[in-house]
Amino acid sequence: MSDIRFETVNVGSLRVHVCSTDKFKTNMMVAMVQQELSPQTVTLHALLPSVLQRGTQSYPSTIQLKQQLDALYGATLFGDVFKRGERHIMQLGLEVADDRYLKGTSALMEDGMKLLGEILYQPVMEDGAFRKSYVEAEKKNLKQKIESLLDDKIRFAAHRCVEEMCKDEPYALFNHGRLQDLDAISPQSLYTYYLELVEHCPIDLYFVGNVTTENVVELVKAHFRTGEGKRREIPVGRTHKTPEKVHEVVDRLDVNQGKLNLGYRTQITLADPDYPALQMYNGILGGFPHSKLFINVREKASLAYYAASRLESHKGILTVQSGIEIDNYQQAVDIIRKQFAMMERGEFTESEMNQTRAMLINQLKERQDRAYNVIDAHYHGVLSGQVQTLEQMIEGIHQVTDDEIKKVAQKIQLDTVYFLRNRKGGNENGED
Amino acid sequence: MEKIEYPELNETLYYEQLPNGLKVYLLPKSNYNKTYATFTTKYGSIDNHFVTPEGEEIQVPDGIAHFLEHKMFEEPDGDVFSKFSNQGASANAFTSFERTAYLFSCTENVEKNLATLIDFVQNPYFTDPSVEKEKGIIAQEIRMYEDNPDWRSYFGLIAAMFKNHPVRIDIAGTVESIAKINKETLYTCYNTFYHPSNMLLFVVGPIDPEAIIQQIRQNQTGKTYTKKGEIRRIYPDEPMSVDQEVADVQLSVGISKCLFGFKENRIGLSGEKLIRQELETEIMLEAIFGQGTDLYQSLYDQGLIDDHFGYDYSLENGYGFSAIGGDTSDPDTLLQRIQKELPQIVERGIPDEVIERIRKKKLGGYLRSYNSPEWIANQFTRFQFNDMDLFSVIPQLEKLNSEDVNKRLKEHIDWDRFAVSIVRPLDGE
Repeated sequence: MSDIRFETVNVGSLRVHVCSTDKFKTNMMVAMVQQELSPQTVTLHALLPSVLQRGTQSYPSTIQLKQQLDALYGATLFGDVFKRGERHIMQLGLEVADDRYLKGTSALMEDGMKLLGEILYQPVMEDGAFRKSYVEAEKKNLKQKIESLLDDKIRFAAHRCVEEMCKDEPYALFNHGRLQDLDAISPQSLYTYYLELVEHCPIDLYFVGNVTTENVVELVKAHFRTGEGKRREIPVGRTHKTPEKVHEVVDRLDVNQGKLNLGYRTQITLADPDYPALQMYNGILGGFPHSKLFINVREKASLAYYAASRLESHKGILTVQSGIEIDNYQQAVDIIRKQFAMMERGEFTESEMNQTRAMLINQLKERQDRAYNVIDAHYHGVLSGQVQTLEQMIEGIHQVTDDEIKKVAQKIQLDTVYFLRNRKGGNENGED
Repeated sequence: MEKIEYPELNETLYYEQLPNGLKVYLLPKSNYNKTYATFTTKYGSIDNHFVTPEGEEIQVPDGIAHFLEHKMFEEPDGDVFSKFSNQGASANAFTSFERTAYLFSCTENVEKNLATLIDFVQNPYFTDPSVEKEKGIIAQEIRMYEDNPDWRSYFGLIAAMFKNHPVRIDIAGTVESIAKINKETLYTCYNTFYHPSNMLLFVVGPIDPEAIIQQIRQNQTGKTYTKKGEIRRIYPDEPMSVDQEVADVQLSVGISKCLFGFKENRIGLSGEKLIRQELETEIMLEAIFGQGTDLYQSLYDQGLIDDHFGYDYSLENGYGFSAIGGDTSDPDTLLQRIQKELPQIVERGIPDEVIERIRKKKLGGYLRSYNSPEWIANQFTRFQFNDMDLFSVIPQLEKLNSEDVNKRLKEHIDWDRFAVSIVRPLDGE
């Protein structure tokens, strides 16, 4: 088994993480910038990566920038924003082919870093702010992105469930921001926000591929604004909440299939010692095709094509998602809740534990085969305050006992039952 | 076992065809953790009319290849998923127009998992109650796609283009068509298409090719297969022109979807000719619609497209088509601009330097794809079923010339074979 490890060095105020490996035919670099998830900044933060990807001072038009990426043998530039608990992360990354597999190139990695550095630090300017036409076009685009949440009903239902569940918490915010903020954003206000972000918010730079730490550090110094001193710390936010009662929410749209989502509070996050037990709990319950939800909702009752659970490991939330025939709402809810009750009573077998353990460990090892997954896994560690090696994580899973899983089960409480259904039929609660 | 070296990619491929006809390809990747294996039959949703091994010509219900894929996971001693989970493997399967693939990935117990994969696919076990039960599950899969606007716009386009060819039929079929499926028809399909001579096994990962091939040989020697001739598949005649110029539906969406494309008239290809046409067409489409083009940027700045706008070219032996588009706030204006500006682009042709830029881009793109064991196994299989070699794509790409790409441009962009599929928001939403 190949060993994938990061070496972390501070370069000025930046944290630089380097993983030297010859496993891949491309090299990947990613900048992660943290911000607090809040109504004041959510839309600015969401808008920023697309504006930064419009052009740099050397490649001021988007077409020049795209053609430069093509010239770097189809370097791919990617930018996005996502939530990690109540932190809002902006990611900008670039992947370039490794010179070893091409004829007549010698410095694609450096060219790529130079370009990523420019995208981050040398945006196209106009009257002391971002270029107006770029900001306006990207506002329109973001509006479209927010509106298109409705198009993917699985994603829509997942978001709506969490939004209702965390109504009074920042976590309710959509990662792509809010429509009502867009009009007020100007090239100047976005630029002011950008300066604050790149100067004061935590930045982690990742490099994976045919590189050495010395070389990367040298190139970071040359092409990134390293700054000095300490950056602001972004608080973890709220991770514990006890639901007073179960919220039931029904949305009605013109759909053929009902989407049933349940949100639970676990009181456990990645930073807690019982997190591996929570992973085991989730795996036995609904993480895999051998799990209780898959077996009982899909295989036995034939109610759904998918029925699974997943963890939001920084917020301490567990969600269940399934797509069902609308009339089967109550039956599906009952079967799902029954699986939780069984977990609480400790009704799971040695065999379910063994299967789940094997599958979790397999997942941990498999994600080492993809550069982006390696970065993502490490960054989860950075955000939770404890970076673990693969061996430590595997050991953590191995040590979980059935008693620990039962203890986890005692903590888990249902908060919200969300149902997206058709417009016709049913009473006000959505029940037929 | 044959050994094929690709020094420029730093890869070595091993190949053997077993006496029963099964083709086995092994690609060691010693620095990966994961072993990924696919066991694929050249049998997909389009193969709905054929001659059975008993010589009977039959037409089977829509969606049966996909239904069969689901039912293969059931064994007399229980569910195969559970077995894979015991062995720490994550298993799955998919059905496309052309193929049905069964797969797993794992980091331990490679031999056991490989045996499980081969054995479950070679051991059909269907009962009436379990076939009935599966109908509920697949009905929900179909419902899920009915609510998915991207899927709807894609199938809307294909159905608009093709009048008779079964590519126009949804892979999973419909709730009505799957109601007609029974265990006898499943066995007939199985016996026709799951003979080892119609199948390919690909294993990629930190494997010892000698040990793996030995295991596979032994496994196959223990099973008896009678020799079989070529499978006769029957496809209807398909007109050159599109069936319908525009497909327009309304769904619960926030933003319209607009896909358009051209039905390919140069079909019936295989081997190097197929690769070449595929590459030439992709380069041509990138030169017109890629993010580095004036057209893309101008549509983007006008707010008519967003960064999900893209193109895709599908070419198989029996059919081909391009599909271009994505989300748009105004499908009608988008189409007007395309219909006005595309003829001018065709007229001007694609300059050499643009082709050079795209060649580089695609080269890097292939290197990125070669990082992915999943991509390699699935693409390699598709290529092999069409008598092509995945690892010869880069040399082919280097050989392409601008004259051929420009010829392709004039050939493919034919307004008589143009179709459009639009999904709009419901009135009042």
